Amino acid sequence: MPNHSKANTSAQSRSFFQQAWVRFKRHPLARLGAAVLLVFYLGALFADFLAPYPEEKSFRDFSYAPPTQIFWRDENGRLTRPYVCASERRRNPETFKVEVITDCEKGRYPIYFFVEGEPYRFLGVIPSNLHLFGGPWLLEDKAKLFLWGADDFGRDIWGRIWFGARISLTIGIFAVALALIIGIFMGSLAGYYAGRPVTFSIGVLNPQFWRFIRANRPVDHLMALLGLLLLLGLVWAMGQGYQQYIRPDLQRVSTLALAGLGLVVGTALMGMLLYFLVWRSHLARALLWLLVWVGVAWLVWITVYGFLQTSRGLEAVLAGLVGAVLLAAIGYVLLWPRVEFDLDTIIMRTVEVLAAIPDLFLLIILSVLIPMEVPPAVRFVLVVTILSFVNWGGLARIIRSQVLQLREMEYAQAAQALGAGDARIVLRHVLPGTYTYLIVAVTLAIPGFILGESGLSFLGLGIQEPATSWGLMLSKAQATGITAFTERPWLLIPGVFILLAVLAYNFLGDGLRDALDPRTKV
Amino acid sequence: MFGYVVRRLLQLVPTFFGATLLAFLVIQLAPGDFVTRLELDPTQDRESIANLRQQLGLDQPLPVQYAKWLSGIFQGYLGLSLSYKTDVWSVIGQRILNSMVLVVLATLMIYLIAIPIGVYSAIHKYTWPDRIFTVLAFLGLAIPNFFFGLIMLFLAVWLNDLTDMRILPIGGMTNEFLHLGNMTRAAQWLFPFALVGTLVYGTLFWLRSRRGQTPTFGVWLGLVLFGVSSLLMLAPLLQGPGLPERLPYTESPLWARVTNVLWHAFPVVIVVGTSGLAGLMRVMRGQMLDVLSQDYIRTARAKGLSERVVIYKHALRNAVIPFIAGIGGLLPGLIGGAGLVEVVMAWPGITPALLEAISAIDVYVIMGLITITTVLLMVGNVISDLLLAWVDPRIRYS
Repeated sequence: MPNHSKANTSAQSRSFFQQAWVRFKRHPLARLGAAVLLVFYLGALFADFLAPYPEEKSFRDFSYAPPTQIFWRDENGRLTRPYVCASERRRNPETFKVEVITDCEKGRYPIYFFVEGEPYRFLGVIPSNLHLFGGPWLLEDKAKLFLWGADDFGRDIWGRIWFGARISLTIGIFAVALALIIGIFMGSLAGYYAGRPVTFSIGVLNPQFWRFIRANRPVDHLMALLGLLLLLGLVWAMGQGYQQYIRPDLQRVSTLALAGLGLVVGTALMGMLLYFLVWRSHLARALLWLLVWVGVAWLVWITVYGFLQTSRGLEAVLAGLVGAVLLAAIGYVLLWPRVEFDLDTIIMRTVEVLAAIPDLFLLIILSVLIPMEVPPAVRFVLVVTILSFVNWGGLARIIRSQVLQLREMEYAQAAQALGAGDARIVLRHVLPGTYTYLIVAVTLAIPGFILGESGLSFLGLGIQEPATSWGLMLSKAQATGITAFTERPWLLIPGVFILLAVLAYNFLGDGLRDALDPRTKV
Repeated sequence: MFGYVVRRLLQLVPTFFGATLLAFLVIQLAPGDFVTRLELDPTQDRESIANLRQQLGLDQPLPVQYAKWLSGIFQGYLGLSLSYKTDVWSVIGQRILNSMVLVVLATLMIYLIAIPIGVYSAIHKYTWPDRIFTVLAFLGLAIPNFFFGLIMLFLAVWLNDLTDMRILPIGGMTNEFLHLGNMTRAAQWLFPFALVGTLVYGTLFWLRSRRGQTPTFGVWLGLVLFGVSSLLMLAPLLQGPGLPERLPYTESPLWARVTNVLWHAFPVVIVVGTSGLAGLMRVMRGQMLDVLSQDYIRTARAKGLSERVVIYKHALRNAVIPFIAGIGGLLPGLIGGAGLVEVVMAWPGITPALLEAISAIDVYVIMGLITITTVLLMVGNVISDLLLAWVDPRIRYS
């Protein structure tokens, strides 16, 4: 057996992904990008181990303390184990500025590697107290060790960079995943149904209406009734669940996770009920669209009525006319014509609307919707949601254009001829053809999300204290005015990390694009 | 063609309604309104608060408020700023103009630099300069522009400390006082050089046109640069000596104010334009490489045309087509990207105004800012589409 498989992977008969892997390995910049990202993600994972202090440990006396000096030579000038000296904040006798002053006479503290320090839980479960560097003096607080200086609260920047990496580096992935889900759904709907309008409603007096209603068996209507009842029950149960279990305990992460899970499962169940039970019955559909049109008419009525009450002159006349025309149009639609919508047009128009507002402004006004007093975990989720809401359009466009091509392929038409449903054709036959394209698009989209998050956090609208992210850390650089910050350049270090992460993703995406392009030869 | 233009313009209407409706809904969904803050103030009595709310129209249902706002827009009125108690346009007009200064200058910079570098990189493919430009382009695309802005400020402070002069501005758009004396002396010192340059390039231009040759790009550029700068220096030369050493900004002559704003804009424009510059540089290089490998280029070379003619007349003209359309794609990035830089470098543009308005929940100022930028973007996109359709005969308008 081993021999056999070895023969299979010889140069002649490599699978597509094996070839891609070979091409990828030959791309030096892509390898560099992958290596940098690996280091960053490992650093984020082992942040507790890398950081000498816990995430929120602050020393008020040491705000904006410069990087701690590390000495390599003892008092006689001989090389020795690296050590730090005791330091304190007091007035410098020469410059009369209040500074952090290191004084080796008061004590020298050698730095040890792989030492015991502050206890933490690795991955939130495994208790541990192993740190990369430090010493017993760190626990007793005899000397400080700020490898890259301290921020405004006197917190260690080196450590917080790795804690911040947990948010800055994962937010891009989560946001891109969510945007991808929305984008795949919308893009494949738009692409697959492009040019095949879906009937939305038929006027009541239209003979087609009655033919449409009678096209069902009575059982279907009964099932639809059952479905509607189940739907009501589901909504009631979800409301009850929220009132009973979620609302009393909103501050706990596990409760919130439960709430999120409940919401997703509930929405999925609702969708299934609607699709399998209610949608089959044409009577139920007719009732639904009647309801929608009546709702629209009601909205128009309220608007025009309120508008007329507060305006006069030509404005009022025009508003009355517009309202009358709209209401008449809705009345006509209810009575006679068959209204058809092209899903492609609707979805692509929506994408255009989202693209019409500058991304940053949309992000800013959406971020105002995040309530002030939510726990950091919820804030994280909401920031992810906002980012993906603003950016799903691009992915949807890519997927739509791909689906539009692939649905005309012979294998997709063969599946249709064999009687496969639309959902099956899209999921099993069309979407797999877009994978290579999507991998590249996603890799190149992640840096955009990282930049979006850091920009939002930089403005103070994204991630907030006590959680941390690179954008938020960078915003401290300017917190106390422009001229002061030349004295503390170490506050700019988080920006370097954002730059490196984005650069690495760009390199990786470029390499993947070249590797996954079947036209390039191995 | 006419049908295409009309259709393209009609498409804007639903997008405009959709975008403004979306923005309006999002703003109104945010908890509280402008008056909410007054409710927390115990000195305000309930009745006057209710009156104020009615007066401002905040008690109406949302669709009515939107319809009111829309009818105002059709009459050219952007609404009432709640916190300034005045017309929205008088609050945001200047801010939008300030941002446009950045966007226009950045676009100019991007096009003037990206095209020559892209062409150079394509012609000298895989040489050291090309590699350096490639690395710089990757860095320029990856650097978050607010981080770059911070670095630029850092550099400005450091440079000014080092030389004990104000070489680069440290944030802001204008100074409170303008040093007219220094400006005049600088103009007096620089004017001879500009004049000599103008004369030299003018002579070149004249010689070439007398011989019946078309002037090269370099001659055009030199003539325009030197000519414009010597013209600009005329005003301080004529007017400057009679003015006092220092004057407040508002009392200074126009040329001094423009110079001051341009000086402040210089580092900001570099920061704003960097990512667009890096991107377009790469696109230009790729386009040029694509075109250079076409058959007609080989034909042109084979029939013995000089390399200059091949590159500038045959290749560049075709490679530059997507660039004209690129303006539409560039604008949203510039307006959005300028946003964070404006905040960092204290440029009184759209985004700082938006952030102020949001913290005050000044609904119509927010709506005005978003509407105007959205309309600007949409118009920019249409213009670039039309330009593309006009320039590129391969595009069909059906």
